[in-house]
Amino acid sequence: MTNGVTATLARPFEHIPDAWRQPLGLTLLIAAAVLFPLVHTNDADIDSMANAAAYAVLALGLNIVVGFAGLLDLGYAAFFAIGAYTYGILSSFQLQPEWSSFWEPFRILGLVHKMAADTGDGSVVRFTLSFWLALPLCAGFAAFWGVMFGAPTLRLRGDYLAIVTLGFGEIVPIVVRNWSDLTNGAAGLNGVSAPKLFGWSFGVNSTPYYYVAIALVALLIFISIRLRDSRIGRAWMAIREDEIAAGAMGVNRTKFKLLAFAIGAAFGGMTGVFYVAKLQTATPEMFGFPVSVMILVMIVFGGIGSVWGVVLGAFILQLLQSWWLEDLTGWLNVLGRAVHSDWLAHIDLVPSIELIFGFILVGMMLFRRQGLIPATRPQTALSFDQQHAEIRRGGFNDLKLQGLGGDVRTGALALEIKGVTVKFGGLTALNNVDLVVPNGGVVAVIGPNGSGKSTLFNLVTGLLDVGDGSIRFHGEEILGLPPHEILTKGIARTFQNLRLFPNLTVMENALIGQHARLTTGVLQAILRPPSTRAEEAAARVWAMEVFAIFGNRLTPRVGQMVAGLSYANRRRIEIARALASRPRILLLDEPTAGMNPAETLELAEQIKSLNMLGLTVLLIEHKLDVVTTLADTVYVLDHGEVIAQGTPAEVRRDEEVLRAYLGRNAQAAAGMAPAGMASVPLPTLGQ
Amino acid sequence: MTLFDLLLQQTINGLSLGAMYALLALGFTLVYGILELINFSHFNVFMVGSFIAMGVLQLFGLTGQDVILTGLPLVGVLLVTFAVTMVSSGAIGVAIERLSLRPLRNVKGPAAMITTIGVSYILFNIILLVCGAEAKNYPNPMPTVRYHIAGAVLDLRVVLIWIVALVLMGGLYLFVQKSRIGKAMRATAQDAEAARMMGVDVDRVVMMAFFLGSALAGAGGLIFGLYYNFTSFIIGFTAGLRAFTAAVLGGIGNVPGAMVGGVIIGMIEAMGGQFIATAWTDVIIFSILVLVLVFKPAGLFGRMAPTKS
Repeated sequence: MTNGVTATLARPFEHIPDAWRQPLGLTLLIAAAVLFPLVHTNDADIDSMANAAAYAVLALGLNIVVGFAGLLDLGYAAFFAIGAYTYGILSSFQLQPEWSSFWEPFRILGLVHKMAADTGDGSVVRFTLSFWLALPLCAGFAAFWGVMFGAPTLRLRGDYLAIVTLGFGEIVPIVVRNWSDLTNGAAGLNGVSAPKLFGWSFGVNSTPYYYVAIALVALLIFISIRLRDSRIGRAWMAIREDEIAAGAMGVNRTKFKLLAFAIGAAFGGMTGVFYVAKLQTATPEMFGFPVSVMILVMIVFGGIGSVWGVVLGAFILQLLQSWWLEDLTGWLNVLGRAVHSDWLAHIDLVPSIELIFGFILVGMMLFRRQGLIPATRPQTALSFDQQHAEIRRGGFNDLKLQGLGGDVRTGALALEIKGVTVKFGGLTALNNVDLVVPNGGVVAVIGPNGSGKSTLFNLVTGLLDVGDGSIRFHGEEILGLPPHEILTKGIARTFQNLRLFPNLTVMENALIGQHARLTTGVLQAILRPPSTRAEEAAARVWAMEVFAIFGNRLTPRVGQMVAGLSYANRRRIEIARALASRPRILLLDEPTAGMNPAETLELAEQIKSLNMLGLTVLLIEHKLDVVTTLADTVYVLDHGEVIAQGTPAEVRRDEEVLRAYLGRNAQAAAGMAPAGMASVPLPTLGQ
Repeated sequence: MTLFDLLLQQTINGLSLGAMYALLALGFTLVYGILELINFSHFNVFMVGSFIAMGVLQLFGLTGQDVILTGLPLVGVLLVTFAVTMVSSGAIGVAIERLSLRPLRNVKGPAAMITTIGVSYILFNIILLVCGAEAKNYPNPMPTVRYHIAGAVLDLRVVLIWIVALVLMGGLYLFVQKSRIGKAMRATAQDAEAARMMGVDVDRVVMMAFFLGSALAGAGGLIFGLYYNFTSFIIGFTAGLRAFTAAVLGGIGNVPGAMVGGVIIGMIEAMGGQFIATAWTDVIIFSILVLVLVFKPAGLFGRMAPTKS
């Protein structure tokens, strides 16, 4: 339906070349925004637009926290309040400490004035913080509080985070209401200075405020888009999609969650400054739970995670509130009088705005979760040719993959696990396990389900932090390090049950794999200097090189969402994502699970080729043909203990291994069988 | 009043508040235990419950606190009011689940939680638009009988509130422990998939959790009116957050934990109001919520179900 309408509307524009459309649309939008107050000179309407723009900025800020990083914040208005009150207090008569020489430097900087006290004797300080200075200052101060609120909640699951932020959102207005000395309590701050530009005060005229608000929206749209399409934005989305995988792929979750909180809070603080300067007053009621919900409704309505969507959502809902609902009420009343319906003649829709918000929230969640403008673009289907997979046997020998396996090698051992024990309550998952992986080798770990193989991987990659013993990587102790540091040292892994970032593209998954190898920070992401562009381009080239390992299976699909791909391809993407991080050792947890025999063989040979290029591999695998093809050494785990180790052939003959896999009687039966060990169906067991 | 009298008096007040929060906390815990969903609509099911009960009491011809009943008529009116309120509130809970949450059962992420915020907002604003913003004088047929214990006053209605709350909570506990569907609820909380494969009708279990939780919230709403002699459209938010804190404190998903948590929160509110300042009560309670979540996320008594990852 809606697509049909869009298509009809778009028809007159079809002859505009694709490359022109975006700049053209943007120019028209900017022109409309700039010309609006000149064409439409109703001050009240300009004021409504300025308010709508302020809410658009709030929505953009909340969108970074909720949409990008996936952290549901129900107390966002708290940062709005912090920015508002900070500027309000520092630019009004609220605080009047006695004048002393301490204030002299601030007077020279223009932050305070000396003023005669009301009582007649002595002088007091009058705070006169400039609006333009307050914007960045209060943004920074709000960001500080964003970190303070965020820090204790980081370890919480998403839904708890919602309730804690809701609590903070309640506490801030309560503190404001009760701390009257600082904030003038429920009566509110009065006499906040209007902004001045080159000595000209904005006063109560709406037009200058409108332009400031529009400029803020434009700036923050720009910042949001730049951040979204950078290493920073990808790290946030990785956390949103799968927190554990994000950590394992090198994203410092604490840092990036706090960063999202801080940047979101900064946007809120800035808007607070603007809002208070415009109203020249602030009361605790302006920042309560309904405000936080309204901002949430805006981003849900516009499209969670969609920059243009949340701006549109904010404008529509604000204008609905200030323009359309009154108009609609008027029309209904006229209609009511015309049809002699007393109810219609006196209906007033304006108070029901929150009811409408409630219905929008529920309606959008039930019927259009992606919002008005979805954050993800529709996928182009692959051509038949592209879908045709060429099966690549014999691994690959045409790829260089410079930098895989690491250049620096110290000692003969890549990984040295000594006396490692892990206990969960009464259960011993690993008991005094010793295991070494020589440089450039392929070591396989086999064992029945529940024998502790995946626990071992989790311990090595830092997902568990409960183990005793020692794990050395190239001589360096890594036990107890957080996952992202372990990845940075050169240990990358895949997961038994696949932990990809399903709503991101194949390319984005591989770029997140390189997170720890890239250096773009917030400022570079926003300003995008040549060095950042070069780094980004190189990262894409490297990702394509890695995809080429799998022939044409991934290369045509780099722009596709991972969620829509086949199981085997998702397994390959996970390996590619791990390889993208340029590991020195690759940990594969059942890489061929769910693949058919041909695909299994293909992948085993590709892993072999990677090993030939210098990559060390530690592998959990049930299929013994894979183990025999690849591994130099096999460790057998049972009930958390190493019960055997040796070459694949040696392990196959080990009695302990047979007992662990098949039980005592089966071992006897196998012993009696004339074909001997070769007939023991070890490879197919366990899955 | 001596310090001891003050403590005694605030203990009595705290237990009454605690009984109410416990009833409300049980609804959070039941739904969270099974769906891992923070049900924000529960806040205002409680509020709507207190309005429904007010309507029922008015149907009996009661307005304000002038008409006092005793003996059988009092018991009869209260029984009918509790029953009607609980069944209607339960029905609202079931309707919320059926209409707005079941379609989102398998949707990942915060969609279901955002929906419950929307539903909560809808309930809130319907009552605001229909019944108006002013606080309502609550019909209360209970006689004023005061017992003096040391320097503290114990009101008969407070004792009645305790009895009702204890009976309801005891009933719920037995129901969850002993009944067939109660066992199914506990099984679903442990592992919904396994429960389904063992023949548990998960939809029915979820519906039951919403019915029971909402019915108890309705009873809590009635108790709120009888205790404070007023109700208003705004009571859901604060009471709901405190009750949620109680559920977390007791270990969310844990039925006896919610009861104990409710009493603790009630006591904190009463003592904090007495010895610190009423204006800071919510700050104290939220600080406790944050501290518990950060340092002991499983609550004082642990979860009923292990966290699914």
